[in-house]
Amino acid sequence: MKRGLSLQAALAAYRPDAELAPLPEQIDPDRLLSFFHPDHLRDSVTTLTVGPNAGAHCQRELADLLQAEAVIDEVDLAGVPVTDTDVLVIGGGGAGCAAALAAAEHGARVLLATKLRLGDSNTVMAEGGIQAAIEPGDSAQKHMQDTLRAGHHAGDPALVAAMVGDGPEVIHWLIRQGMQFDQTDSGDLHTRRAGGTSAPRIVHCRDYTGLEMMRVLREAVAQHRGIEVWDQHPAVELLSNERGQKCVGAVLSSLADRSLRIVRTRSVILATGGLGRLHLNGFPTSNHLGATGDGLVLAYRMGARLCELDSFQYHPTGLVNPPYLSGKLVTEGIRAAGALLLNAQGQRFVDELQPRDIVCAAIIRECREGRGIHPDVGGVGVWLDTPRLERSQPGLLERQFPKLLARTRVAGIDPRSEPILVYPTLHYQNGGAVIDVDGATTVPGLYAAGEVAGGIHGRNRIMGNALLEIIGFGRRAGIAAALSGHDRGPKKITLEHVNRARRALALAGLPLARRAPQVLPPYAAMGKDS
Amino acid sequence: MSRLNANLLHPCQRVGDNLARWREAGGGEALRLGAANPAAILAAVKDADLRGLGGSGFPVWRKWEAVASEAPRPDKYLVCNGNEDEPGTFKDRLLLEETPHQVIEGALLAALAVGANRVVLYVNPDLTRSLAALQAALARWHNTEFLQLAGDALGQAITVELVPSSGHYIGGEETAALEWIEGKFPFPRGKPPYPAQYGVHGCPTLINNVETLANIPAIVRHGADWFRAQSTGRGTGSKLYSLSGDVLHPGVYELPMGTTLGDLIFVHGGGLLSGKPLKAVFTGGPSNTLLTPADLDVSLDFDSLRERGAALGTGAMIVVSEGTGMVKRVAEYARFFAHSSCGQCISCKTGTATISRLLDRIDTGRGTAADLATLESLCRMLPGTGRCHLVNGVAQLLDSSFRHFRQEYRQALK
Repeated sequence: MKRGLSLQAALAAYRPDAELAPLPEQIDPDRLLSFFHPDHLRDSVTTLTVGPNAGAHCQRELADLLQAEAVIDEVDLAGVPVTDTDVLVIGGGGAGCAAALAAAEHGARVLLATKLRLGDSNTVMAEGGIQAAIEPGDSAQKHMQDTLRAGHHAGDPALVAAMVGDGPEVIHWLIRQGMQFDQTDSGDLHTRRAGGTSAPRIVHCRDYTGLEMMRVLREAVAQHRGIEVWDQHPAVELLSNERGQKCVGAVLSSLADRSLRIVRTRSVILATGGLGRLHLNGFPTSNHLGATGDGLVLAYRMGARLCELDSFQYHPTGLVNPPYLSGKLVTEGIRAAGALLLNAQGQRFVDELQPRDIVCAAIIRECREGRGIHPDVGGVGVWLDTPRLERSQPGLLERQFPKLLARTRVAGIDPRSEPILVYPTLHYQNGGAVIDVDGATTVPGLYAAGEVAGGIHGRNRIMGNALLEIIGFGRRAGIAAALSGHDRGPKKITLEHVNRARRALALAGLPLARRAPQVLPPYAAMGKDS
Repeated sequence: MSRLNANLLHPCQRVGDNLARWREAGGGEALRLGAANPAAILAAVKDADLRGLGGSGFPVWRKWEAVASEAPRPDKYLVCNGNEDEPGTFKDRLLLEETPHQVIEGALLAALAVGANRVVLYVNPDLTRSLAALQAALARWHNTEFLQLAGDALGQAITVELVPSSGHYIGGEETAALEWIEGKFPFPRGKPPYPAQYGVHGCPTLINNVETLANIPAIVRHGADWFRAQSTGRGTGSKLYSLSGDVLHPGVYELPMGTTLGDLIFVHGGGLLSGKPLKAVFTGGPSNTLLTPADLDVSLDFDSLRERGAALGTGAMIVVSEGTGMVKRVAEYARFFAHSSCGQCISCKTGTATISRLLDRIDTGRGTAADLATLESLCRMLPGTGRCHLVNGVAQLLDSSFRHFRQEYRQALK
């Protein structure tokens, strides 16, 4: 990487009122992506050798976990208390809560187990908003086209159709739950346009839409008598029937004392979110502490097919400075509102409202080719030109982006007068467990919803579709799981699928030393206790 | 020479519902021979000393003679029992799915031998692929001369009917199957009268397991001597062993009857996973018993296992490695049986439920010495108190686990 300007030098050269040169001619997006997008970094991708996706490409850090031994063995299950329920939801973010509520509304007894606390999730970090085709000039068809195009047509059209079709109803449902959205002067829902889309479609609550969403979901879950919540009980393994072919429960481990609990169910819904905390390719991440890809690991060992394991989304504008905020997001909404990206020379280099992967690759190119800005403490980035936005629309930042102001204020930065240094941050797992329109994975009894599920966003997600997906598919999975039929007889709860995976590893000559799921990243205190 | 002694699972038998390929490999020949001389079928089976392979190990010829000696009233039934639902058993589904013609041919030969004019193929509907394959195969048989041939030999028309079972575990019990075929809930009947005297709709009925019947064509074609020569131990013929659990290569293995447990696990099964030591083997079937590493030399045939206080059952071997909690395992089985009890016999209904509850308590560290004592006395009290063998099976399993792993139960007490 060529070194660009130091932070001080760049700041000194910065003028919010400087005349900008027109955008230089853009290179072919495919070329840009293949040279500069982190998914295409040399040696970052490997090929899976065992499991349902054997032969598929996969990011190396993830492949290591997918092809690892289980953390528990038969011996650990001796004497473990068993709890019976109809539906077990693993994950306490937006998708998990939506699934639990939908399942409970359909008469199921629901147990919701969270890794940390209810609401500790990436949902609360979603800032920009939620997509739904509700404007008069918009249509579900356009929404679908935007989603598929931005995902490089790798998404499953049936899933995308289901998601965009759910859009208006999802917003309606959220409002009924008590969620607040920003409104226009006339009282309509206020919409913004997201990068890579053809119409304004983002409904939002200032710049903390996800937080507001989680607030109401959390209250609804807590109040529902059909839902029991076990906080700080991450799932460490699923349970299968004696043929290892159906998911019939899970083993949870208490974070407090590491004791195990067996939950025996009719269906399990994985809503475990993504894997940012694996820090693929060494990138910082916007994800919360628990995002270690556990759901993918558990589903894969159970035999569920996954998809797009080599495709991840890096959010173009993660904070760089100060280091303790590294990876934290600056919402895309601010670019939607008109903020520009400038390199060290104060020049625009990309259309800021291109899809996220293109903008990311463009930022990485600027930095790699010596037009980046280097703070003293390490890292590199480009300017997000907030002062210019403030000049053109005075008061906008304070009105619509209070979370950004609050976050940077503690670091002594005022975005109204000083541009923000940003660099791509590992943000979202585009792929995940293959599901159908009911959220069912390829393993009977196992459902997936939210970031852990794949097939919707193709190889790139547009802003606001994640919040739509977690509610839409969360509810779909919850309903299907609640209505799924009883199994005849109590088929045994076993670790047969673990045996099967172990056999495959042994036959492939892979090491049995590595264990997954990780539960928490290695630098979390929990891992150092024992 | 390969130790794999494939007869039932020979590649030329594993043709699915493809009738032409099956006939190319000699399929149907046994039926021709049998139709030419029906009396010789029973004699050959008796000579071959074929045993009931659904778990009982009862000599097949004795059942057959009993049915053959009864007069039709006005029909005589043959039921091919494919309800397979025993823990760890997955052999019949393979036979039905991959060699349905062989099974149908065997059933018709048995019908000829005992004079049955109504053949019922009774198959667990949860085995969807087996059911579909059998259905397709049966449709092809209706376009062949075989049914006519068999009917001519019998002197009256033979009907072959496919009846999906209830899918209940207990539906695999002989008399429960008869009840279901009559259109009732599959409650086992009191015995006697046995099905040979009073079966489906009161008609004499022969009921045999899928694997048992699948053996008949080869016996008729190659003779009893050939069949006896297939084994290595004291039994005769070959056996399908369902190997599962902590082994490297689980699966269905057709091996000479009497193959040793050690050979099955270490030669054919590839040994234990991750090189852990062997702790025990659950033999699956109506009577579940335990084998331990001391039994690795035992021949897996009905008589040799009985001498060790165990049972071959269906030939299911569930291998358990060191590090597995036996109490939990046994508790799992007990729950399965408690749930599978049809509930008509009070001793079974309450006995299995009590055993399951007590085992769960002990397993989760809440059990007392009194609970253990209760379990031990239940082991003595319960056997023989039910109409069928279900309650005996639970008691036998529990008893077997006490004999070998009493210490583990003690340690789990409060």
